[in-house]
Formats: sequence, structure tokens, C-alpha cells
Amino acid sequence: MMKNILLLSFNDLAIAFRNKTFLLIIFVPLFVFTSMNLIDRAGPDSTRVKIGLLQHYPYAPEITRSVNAAERIVEVTWVQNETEGMRLLKEHKIDGVLTGNEKVPGSLALAVLKKDSLHTVAIVQNFSALQKAAEGHGPDWITEVKSLHEGGVQKETFPTWILMLVLLIGFIILPAQVAEEKEKKLLLALLQTPIQDVQWLIAKLVLGMVLIIMAVLLLHGLGNFGPSHLFHYLAFIAVGSYCFSACGVFLGFLCRNQASARTLGVIFYLPHVLPSAMSDVSQKLTAVAPLLPSYQLYKPLQSILLEDGATADLTFDWVYLFLLGSAMFYLSHLLLKRRWLMGA
Amino acid sequence: MQLEIRKLAKRYEQSWGLTPTSFDVTAGELIAIVGHNGAGKSTLLKMLANWTVPDRGTVIIDGVDLKDRTAVVRKVGFIPEVPNLFEFFSVEYNLRLFAALSQTPFLRVEEILGEFNLLPFRKSKVQALSKGLRQRVNIGRALLADPPVLLLDEPTSGLDFEMTREVYRLMGTMHGSGKTLLFTSHRPEEIRGLATRIMVLHQGRLVFDGSPLEYFRSAIHEELYAG
Repeated sequence: MMKNILLLSFNDLAIAFRNKTFLLIIFVPLFVFTSMNLIDRAGPDSTRVKIGLLQHYPYAPEITRSVNAAERIVEVTWVQNETEGMRLLKEHKIDGVLTGNEKVPGSLALAVLKKDSLHTVAIVQNFSALQKAAEGHGPDWITEVKSLHEGGVQKETFPTWILMLVLLIGFIILPAQVAEEKEKKLLLALLQTPIQDVQWLIAKLVLGMVLIIMAVLLLHGLGNFGPSHLFHYLAFIAVGSYCFSACGVFLGFLCRNQASARTLGVIFYLPHVLPSAMSDVSQKLTAVAPLLPSYQLYKPLQSILLEDGATADLTFDWVYLFLLGSAMFYLSHLLLKRRWLMGA
Repeated sequence: MQLEIRKLAKRYEQSWGLTPTSFDVTAGELIAIVGHNGAGKSTLLKMLANWTVPDRGTVIIDGVDLKDRTAVVRKVGFIPEVPNLFEFFSVEYNLRLFAALSQTPFLRVEEILGEFNLLPFRKSKVQALSKGLRQRVNIGRALLADPPVLLLDEPTSGLDFEMTREVYRLMGTMHGSGKTLLFTSHRPEEIRGLATRIMVLHQGRLVFDGSPLEYFRSAIHEELYAG
């Protein structure tokens, strides 16, 4: 059985090489790397900011008075303690938490998700304006900005790029390759040999997983940084690539030819990539994104790469991705058995 | 009997591809299945080749049920009308890949390359070959595992006169080596001297099954082709 899977996987990789899929795998990380080096930092945003204040922290009266009075620009959420504040921050329910600054007694530290985000700039600007209005020129209320996501803009965009790579291979490349094998009756030719249907399916998953892992490693290599627990991280990427490769094979089975596979692929690709990639900057998308399978890959990637999160804490995401991939694999197997849309 | 076909049928959305059809095939027969386009010839062959899932009926080939695909593929070789080869790759790569998947020794690849005069083209990419050469590779691939039954769907479709003669010569050689062949054609005159038995399908129904002599004297031939 293993011999057939290896043969079929090798054949799939050879096809991917001949039809220049490998160029895409090299091009995308190179494009990402170049783009990240050209990122401009945007200016401040004037939208209303949501700030978390600790219920039992002795804020100076002029601060609480000013913040409460400035309800047009600051929305206050009172939290029990710093832990609750950090949780709301991670869930994008607030933009920052004002805590005591241990380094400068009597002053405040602002905890945010990303130091370089528009929200952070807006919070600091708004507090500066409030301070001037309340006290004129005095010592700054906020003397430190702490970020949950370590690293600069380049590192912060990494989970998004990795998600895009996984979805690109899963939703665009694999369905097209499966549909091509159906369209040209190559799959039927392979099924004229004593291979098992499952072996062909596993070979397709191997192709998807190899392409995804290669692309991710290349991206990390070019970006010159990696997660602290590389083995666990790669294992998580493998589960994610299994899930979306299985989705891609299933999509390929729903199409008669490459053209329709690409169209269907884009139809699935965009909704999956947009909410996850944009959820950091939109409250509404943050609420919608968890409904999408791609979010179960994206959120843990953020946690692992930016918050130094442990993969052990991501049990739900592991199980979710594995079960979804297995369900897609099973459905693909059913369609293969019925020679679904093979035009024979 | 080598093939036992009982009430085999396929229904498409609007009509029957093949109405319930039963017949037997003994080893060593060379059967031409003739009929106009849409008569059900290819549907019948594709069901026997496991390309299309029948809606009803049973097929037993050398004692093996058609549903047992991995066992049946050792009994049946199928040569589709349009060669389905990995076009990016060479003739040799294609044959070796299918030989490996069929657990056939690579020595057999050399034999096929020799038998089908493909040695000069072994390194050529399939996409660079003429249609006739591709068909030769296609037939050679089906013979890799040396199956006792061969199914050929319109094997001379789109070929010129010379290549058509060449394909018929190859079919005669395969038949001479003891294989059972079933092939489709919509030009019965061409296969007059080749087939040992002719079956005629018309609008999804088997309307004639007999010897070539009987067929060319029958009203069916007059009605479908001579009229």
C-alpha cells in the first residue's frame, strides 16, 4: 500500500513541477517577503476607541473623570482584573487595557494587541488630548505601551500570509489538479490498475501537505524567524494542511474541469481568507470569522507566532481541523466510488 | 463463459444509455459492437471497464464480480477512444508508472516498447506524438499486465487509413495470442473480416447478436447502414 501511495505522490509532485505549480510556491513567499519590506505605517485613526479599566485600580480622579466625560471618543469597559482585560483584548472586544506601570510608580501602562496598530495610535492620541484638556502640560498619564503581539509589522502579518498560502494551495491549486485528472481521464486510467481508491486520495493529500509545508518553511526562512516550539508548530501546520488539502480534493470532485475548479476555488478562497485576515481591524468580522474553518487555523497561528502560545492549549482547533479534514476525505471517497462527474 | 453479463443497464437523466442487456462471451472471441452515435456502445464498454457505475445488473469476468475493481482490473484492459496518458511525461515514464502500479516487472515495459515499435520514441513526451503513436502507447499500456480481456472503444477514431490498418493488425495479433477482444465501431464495413461476432446496439437496446455473415445478410444492417 505504501509503495503505491509513494508512487502516486511522486507522480503528483512531478506533475506539479511540470505544470509550474512549484514556481507559485516559490513566488508567493518571495512576493510576501518583498511586500513586507515595503509596508508603510499608516497614520492615526480618529474612530472611537474601546478601553478597559481595572475596577479596583486607584486611577487618578482626573483620568476617570476625563475618560467618562469624553464618551464620544472613548468607550470604557470596567474589568475585574488584568487577566480579564487581556482576555477581552484577545477577543477584540476592547482595543486596550490601562494598567499600572510597575517601572514608573503612579503612572499607567497601556496594554494593546499590536503596538503598530491604528487603534494603539488612536488611544495614545486621544489620551494625550484628554490630558491636555484636564491638566494642561503635566507628566504623561501613559508612560508605556505593552503589546501582546511581540515583533513588528512584518511578523504580525505572518499568520495572514501563512493562511493565504494554505488556502491558495487548498482551494485553488489542488481542486484544479484533481479536476484536470478527471477531465483528462487520468484518474480513470490510474483506477485501471489495482491501486485502492484510498491510495489515490492519500497521494493527493500528501501533495497538498508537501506543497503547503514547503511554502511555509520557505516563508519562515525568508522572514528569518521561527516559532519557539518548531516541532509543535509544524505538527499544527500539518494538521491544517491536511484539513484544507482534503477540502481542496473534495472541491475538485465537484467540478468537471479545471476552469470550473478554479472558479469554485476562488469562491471558497476569498470568504475564507478575508474575515480571518481582516478580523484584527473589524469588530463585525471578528464576530463572523470564528464561523469559518479558516479561523480555526488562523487564530492558533496568531497565538503560536505572535503570543508565544502553546499548541497544547489549542485542543479544540486541532480536533476541529482534523475532523473537518476527515469528513472531507470521506465525502471525496464516496464521490470517487460513484465516479462523480467524471464524464465517462 | 469468460464474461457473464446479466441485465446490465445505465440510465442517464433523460433516457436510457443502455436498457437491461444480457449476453455471454466465451474466451477468444473478437466481438465488434456496432451502432450509431448514442446507441450505447461506449456506455456498455465503460461499464465493463469500471469507468461508469451501472444502475443495475451484474457482470462476472472470469468468476470475479465487476464490483471488485482491484481484482477485475487484472482481468480487463481498457483502451479508451481518446488516449488518457500523462502528456507532460515521456512514453517510457508513462509505461513504467503504470507497470509499477500494476506490479508488473519493468522488463515488460521493454517488451511493449519493442512489440509496438515504440523504442525510437521512448524518451519522447506524449504530447509531442502523433495521434496514431499515442494510440499505440495507449494499447501498449493496457497490455502491460497482460489481461485476458481487452476492451477497445472506437480504437480507430480519428486515425488515417494507414494507422487504422495498423491498429486492426495489432488487434488481430492480440486475438491471435488468445485474448478476448470487444471493440466498438460505427463503421461495420471496416470490420467485416476482423470480428468473429457482431453485436448491434440501437438507441440503448441490443438489437442483433450473431456472426458477421448473419449480420451482413440481416435486415438490421440494411435498415441501419445500407438504407
